[in-house]
Amino acid sequence: MISSIARRSHRTERIALTVIRMCAGFVILAMAAILLYLSVEGTKTFFVDHFSLLQFLFSPDYDLDDNHPGAAIFIVGTLLVTVFAIVVGGPFGIAVGVFLSEIAPKRMAQLLKPAIELLVGIPSVVYGWLGLTLLVPLIRDHTSSPSGFSLAGAGIVLAIMILPTVISLSEDSFNSLPPSLREGSLALGATRFQTIVRVLLPSASSGLAVALILGIARAVGETLAIQLVIGNATAFPKGIFGPTATLTTVIVGEMPSATQGSLQEHALFSMAFLLLIIAMVLILLVRFALRKRT
Amino acid sequence: MDVATMEPRTTSLVGASTSVRARKLADQIATVVLWIMASSIILLLALFIVYMFYLGARYLTPSFIFGMPAETSAGGGVGPEIYNSFYILILTLIFTVPISTAAGVYLQEYAPPGRFRELVVFSAESLATIPSIVMGLFGLLVFVYLFKWQFSAIGGALTLTLLNLPALMRVTQEALKSVPDTYREASMGMGATRWQTVLNVVLPSAIGRMTTGIVLIAGRIFGETAALIFTAGLSVSENDPYDLNPFHTAETLAVHLWYTHTESIVPDVDRIGNGSALVLLIMVFVFNIAARVGGRALSKRLTGRPT
Repeated sequence: MISSIARRSHRTERIALTVIRMCAGFVILAMAAILLYLSVEGTKTFFVDHFSLLQFLFSPDYDLDDNHPGAAIFIVGTLLVTVFAIVVGGPFGIAVGVFLSEIAPKRMAQLLKPAIELLVGIPSVVYGWLGLTLLVPLIRDHTSSPSGFSLAGAGIVLAIMILPTVISLSEDSFNSLPPSLREGSLALGATRFQTIVRVLLPSASSGLAVALILGIARAVGETLAIQLVIGNATAFPKGIFGPTATLTTVIVGEMPSATQGSLQEHALFSMAFLLLIIAMVLILLVRFALRKRT
Repeated sequence: MDVATMEPRTTSLVGASTSVRARKLADQIATVVLWIMASSIILLLALFIVYMFYLGARYLTPSFIFGMPAETSAGGGVGPEIYNSFYILILTLIFTVPISTAAGVYLQEYAPPGRFRELVVFSAESLATIPSIVMGLFGLLVFVYLFKWQFSAIGGALTLTLLNLPALMRVTQEALKSVPDTYREASMGMGATRWQTVLNVVLPSAIGRMTTGIVLIAGRIFGETAALIFTAGLSVSENDPYDLNPFHTAETLAVHLWYTHTESIVPDVDRIGNGSALVLLIMVFVFNIAARVGGRALSKRLTGRPT
């Protein structure tokens, strides 16, 4: 009797382990399928239409009726908005992370954290709508930009969108520092600000690098929030208040009307594949930064 | 890093030779600046909320929230779109939660360190950084082109499953991590197998935190757009606006907001846009509050009283 119960629970144990292991394996399978499919579809520009990789990456000539699939404008556009977002949002986010970890009284933290969670929750299309109705008219009225659609507007929207990521990850990395670091520095007569700048910032540097890299990852892949604000012009931006386009905005803008199997579709899939490669590189950078810490 | 080994940096904001008073002043200024920066985030959120209520509140009439969308004329509603958002959300959770919970349990409670575990973790991290637009194109390739489902609610939901799997796995893992080891030891010490321990002791103790995490992510799924444009489609079902068939097109509210602005020819774009944006914002609040209240209530029910 007892042995039969034991045997049955042993079998349940084995079945359960098999099932949950398969679920974990599904994650590997999904990632492999995505890599496979997008690498096949994303390289058709080169293997089916026979354009060179160099032309795709470096030619600013994007005119599909004329057989020119150069993506340089969009690559530069993605690069510029991302740099803008990280230059504005990165330091700001780290500063607020320091504030939450080292300065904020409990009351303030209880107010700030839910606010940050709400900012995470706002859908990107709503950020885009806010940018469109709030920021675009503001830029139109106060700068030389005739339409108000601009690189700077998209950069500002993105900077706000990456804030929650940067804040919470940098707060975590400050929180994980041993209290003895702070105590030692304060006991040597340093002020709190000196302690933050000279002791905590350098000690948390790898965690902060991870916060910034994941902020960059979010900025690179963001689509609709930028698309509604950047102007979607197939041209390099003429200054910071000029309109341009990014990899994500051209994909979402042109894919609905692209015919299956056309050069346009292949070029758009190549851009998606490029975005995938960028994401993978950023993940490897995160792993590298974390390994350095331990 | 040890404090003693840190080299003094002469280029830092506060020089080593400055007087105590100057250092204190710098400290106070920095504190004030950081307070202002942190407060500005709360102010920014408040500004967003007030502004969106100012723009959209007057449009939130029953005929807008429950009405049919219009193709060319003014006065369209978003009833079917709101329905589709919930429909796709529920489908997505039905697919995602079992897989992510099982995978999270495996990683946290079972997996021995090794190749397989490493590969699962790396795949999950990679999956988590894939931009949602790229995931949308993958969904287009697989569900629309390969399976020939056309644009469908189920294609959208499966795409969102891939997109949210890593985050929900993380939720499970964090929740399981919060269960003290003594629980496991006590259960196994009484002769329970590992699986019995997981099922009857660990998961019930973790369910509160898991619910909070799941509902927060549900809020994100509700507002997801880029991944759905090429998978769930840009129009509501032709057969029945409140269609239960998962193989018909299902435009969600967030997609509708984008589509109305970019492609549609209705004259009252601003009304639809402002109204939809406000509904989406309100839903963010609803999900955030529900996450906290629901998680707490469930945890109390399952662990608070002995059965």
